[in-house]
Amino acid sequence: MGEGADARFNSTLREAFGSTPFILTKFDQFMNWVRGSSMFMLQFGIACCSIEMIHTYAIKHDLDRFGAGIPRASPRQADVIVVPGTIVSKFAPRMKRVYDQMPEPKFVVSMGSCTISGGPFQEGYNVVKGAEEVIPVDIHVPGCPPRPEALVYGVAKLQERIANGESSPVTVKPYELEQFGDLERDELVEHLADEIDEDDLVMRYNWNDSP
Amino acid sequence: MQSAPLPESLADLAGLDPNSTPVMILMSLIGAALIGSLMMTNTALAGPWAKRKITAAFTDRIAVDRIGPFGLLIIVADSVRLLSKELIVPEGVDRPAWDLAPLLIASSALLGFAVIPMGNGLHLADPEVGLAYVFATASMASIGLVMAGYASNNKYSFLGGLRAVAQNLAYEIPLILTGASVVIFAGSLQISEIVAAQSATLIGPIPSWYAFVNPFAFVLFMIANLAEVGRNPFDIPEAPTEIVAGYQTEYSSVYFVLIYLGEFIHIFLGGAIIATIFLGGPAGPVLPGIVWFLIKIWGVFLFTQWARSAVPRVRIDQLIEIGWKGMLVLSLANLLLTAVIVGVVA
Amino acid sequence: MSLEKPSSPTEIGVTEDGLDYDALAELLGGHVIDRESHVNAEGFVVRPDEVQAVLSTLKTEAGFDHLANLTAQEYDDRYESIYHLRKYDDPTQELSIVVPSPKDDPHNQSAARIYDTADWHEREAYDLVGIDYDDHPDLRRILLPETWQGHPLSQDYDQNQPQIVTLRENANPLQDDQRSEDDPDTMFVNIGPHHPATHGVLHVKTVLDGEQVADIDPDIGYLHRCEEQMCQQGTYRHQIMPYPDRWDYVSAGMLNEWAYARAAEDLADIEVPEYAQVIRTMSAELSRIAAHMLALGTFALDVFGDFTAIFQYAFRDREVVMNILEDISGQRLMFNYFRLGGVAWDLPEPRDEFFEKIRDFLDDLPYKLEEYHDLITGNEIFQMRCVDTGVLTPEKAKSYGATGPVARGSGVDYDLRRDDPYGYYDELDWNVVTETGCDNFSRVLVRMREVEESARIIEQCVDLLEQWPEDDREIQANVPRTLRPEPDEEIYRAVEGAKGELGIYIRSDGTDKPARFKIRSPCFSNLQTLPEMSQGEYIPDMIASLGSLDIVLGEVDR
Repeated sequence: MGEGADARFNSTLREAFGSTPFILTKFDQFMNWVRGSSMFMLQFGIACCSIEMIHTYAIKHDLDRFGAGIPRASPRQADVIVVPGTIVSKFAPRMKRVYDQMPEPKFVVSMGSCTISGGPFQEGYNVVKGAEEVIPVDIHVPGCPPRPEALVYGVAKLQERIANGESSPVTVKPYELEQFGDLERDELVEHLADEIDEDDLVMRYNWNDSP
Repeated sequence: MQSAPLPESLADLAGLDPNSTPVMILMSLIGAALIGSLMMTNTALAGPWAKRKITAAFTDRIAVDRIGPFGLLIIVADSVRLLSKELIVPEGVDRPAWDLAPLLIASSALLGFAVIPMGNGLHLADPEVGLAYVFATASMASIGLVMAGYASNNKYSFLGGLRAVAQNLAYEIPLILTGASVVIFAGSLQISEIVAAQSATLIGPIPSWYAFVNPFAFVLFMIANLAEVGRNPFDIPEAPTEIVAGYQTEYSSVYFVLIYLGEFIHIFLGGAIIATIFLGGPAGPVLPGIVWFLIKIWGVFLFTQWARSAVPRVRIDQLIEIGWKGMLVLSLANLLLTAVIVGVVA
Repeated sequence: MSLEKPSSPTEIGVTEDGLDYDALAELLGGHVIDRESHVNAEGFVVRPDEVQAVLSTLKTEAGFDHLANLTAQEYDDRYESIYHLRKYDDPTQELSIVVPSPKDDPHNQSAARIYDTADWHEREAYDLVGIDYDDHPDLRRILLPETWQGHPLSQDYDQNQPQIVTLRENANPLQDDQRSEDDPDTMFVNIGPHHPATHGVLHVKTVLDGEQVADIDPDIGYLHRCEEQMCQQGTYRHQIMPYPDRWDYVSAGMLNEWAYARAAEDLADIEVPEYAQVIRTMSAELSRIAAHMLALGTFALDVFGDFTAIFQYAFRDREVVMNILEDISGQRLMFNYFRLGGVAWDLPEPRDEFFEKIRDFLDDLPYKLEEYHDLITGNEIFQMRCVDTGVLTPEKAKSYGATGPVARGSGVDYDLRRDDPYGYYDELDWNVVTETGCDNFSRVLVRMREVEESARIIEQCVDLLEQWPEDDREIQANVPRTLRPEPDEEIYRAVEGAKGELGIYIRSDGTDKPARFKIRSPCFSNLQTLPEMSQGEYIPDMIASLGSLDIVLGEVDR
């Protein structure tokens, strides 16, 4: 277990044994190697970058060489979600839902400028300023769109980090995606209060707080 | 050429009395574990590694080659990783059914191998109703699929479960009827008898395997078997682009491994049945029987992978139509014809 | 020349040299309260409560059967909806119907009863600009979430106000209370926005009766990236051009860039040098091949059901095209190669090698297409799946404003490259491909045959470019550093994109940025036909129809 480990790696076994006994250390190394060597990707396309993502899976670039080329349609069976494209307000809660449906340990590769900052659409009235507004991201692959080689490099880098037991500190900005009752009750919320019932997932965008 | 079943030879090897019941129970268990491990090894090779490599070969790619020789360590990585994932139990699942379904899917196929003779004495039991037993255990999987589909509390799973039932009903009957034509030839349901009946030669060097004696039945059986194990063009219960992943949509971690394993064991069981009743079981020149047997079942596996890469999926109503209007009629005709021919010749 | 089209029966206002607008105005009589002159056509100003009467007269009596676009915009003193009408037989015959409505309570009559396509277009206008359409069948937001506050393209919209977006729980079909009352046997399924077959983030609300589709409602807006706002914030000369690449992002960028280039060049009256036109034509057709290859691959994915051989082969061949396009522009997907008045730079050196690369690709293409025909169109299961499924009649296709391969697969002979010539197309020898099957199979076949035609065009362009004299290689016309078109010029111009008629409406206000920039997306109109195609069909056929429409969500939502 390297530096910067976070809760995603914690197991009940580890809690029971304490910090770093020898066997668990070796076992941790083995598990890190396992997780870094093989991963199922979520079949998840958003925008332009998904075209380059498909090219990364397909002939010539063949991401499967790295043991990361099996797309699974169901989030329950995926380890890595590549976020390939612009996230807009209507889609963000859905993406959050898909991310939540994936089993731990899960990793996020954000692909393209849009998932870093909103990219060329940053000033749009409807565009979420980066994937980190919604879900935690492990690897950013810049580009508009990144070339397949760049994505391969990003995935390889992610594997390397996992194998070394590193993981990104969770740097998600505090976002509000909670039951409606926890939201700050301002005028707008009051206005909508009658229309939204208790079970709805609510995402509230405050554009002023975004970069 | 018939050697004693595995438990008896194991008892002999250990120097224990083969007539004592506790000894036989123990030896049967050991034998079952052996055969189970053998099939699991095959599946482990096929699931994470061979499938990728074969698909890659069909699509001009390389697939896993970075970890271990030829990427073989992916087997370890894949299985350990999947087993160590979080097991998500979605809200509202029908608990006992949801937990039992993956077990049922995986174990039903394994049970079938109990009566399959694999050559070199790898033969757990040889009951008189062997073939009927194999078909019976193999079809138990469809109950597992329905349970998985219904208990998952997910609409795609639900659709997948219903599709699985419709499909298995439509193709089990032609499958068994075609199998029955072989039984008419061999005059026995006992699998060792069926294998023995194929040991003669037909013309020249060609053995009298039923695939050569009755190629029509062989083709019918291959097609029905594709549908039975749910591979392309009949992978309708899963149908990734239509209903996400069908009955397995909500399964993660261990349960997913079990379902995934079950699918592959099913393909191998289908291959084993085909090898046994159409391709002379473990028979073959030079190499030992078990090797020939494995070659045959891997051949069938290769066939399913080839179909997966090249053939479009049929629609659910077309599938049912092919099953009830085409396959059923053809397999009945095949059965009648076989009966008449066997009757006349005899 | 194979580009001549059989002439249509004479309609009111049709003369030898274009449309006689006076005759049309006479036909409409008192409905026309004023006349405007746009760059592409005359605009008739009509009262907001007479829209239906005017449009139905024009459709039935003057033959304007194609509602190409609806532009809504807000002026300082009024709201305005512009219905851009054309004819499928001859798209150069255009007419704009301008409908002003008051600032304090903007509403006018809906055209959805005359043209089916107006349904979604008016919903979009309501969503983004805030005009109410009376008598509209279902006027609600289309691109933005239902809980959105304000209309973002209206003048007093505050972009910084907080917004709330909800995600409703899916109804569970297994619970009794979720069944609909009138038909308890149906089940509601959300297909998408995250689903393997929706080509991105389309959400299809589906009601199933067993395996059959009982009702279907495509829900879009999961990729609404404010493209129109982005273009309205950019300057004509350089800042707008990168965005078209991102509308139809499947390597069709050159075609999209041409749409903007054509509209802006006609607006600012820029003449493009011939040499640049040939380069444009060639690179645009390369883009078309790449786009159609992707359509083919993803359609195979939908029908074959897995990342199978045919899907991978299509991507293998796309790689080749993308390499050539990368040689030309320096980018694989987002080319940004066209400039107003020409292209960014000349073909790559050494030219011989470059031409040889293209020729190699063209030489291999027939064999590859044959392979596809063997694997796809020749496969009996494939034919079983695709022939006579997802039927779209020519009448419905026209009424929904379908264009491109979707319309041509239904036998509508409409291709702007021939009917409204631009670039170098009318100098070259090629054919417009149509199929009359009206089903999924025809649409696939149209795309595959169009690849062959594109290859013919490219081949001729390469011949021309090879022989082009070295001292006459002018790639760029003389364009002022800062482009400021005359104020209050309005233009609607379209090109034949990979998916169909890709149109741009621009209104200038004398500054270096457009006052209104409206994109007419072919996918947006084509997607509207999905309910028409899939009602009563099976789920797999609905998925196949969706695949055969070949939508790109970036272009649908913009």
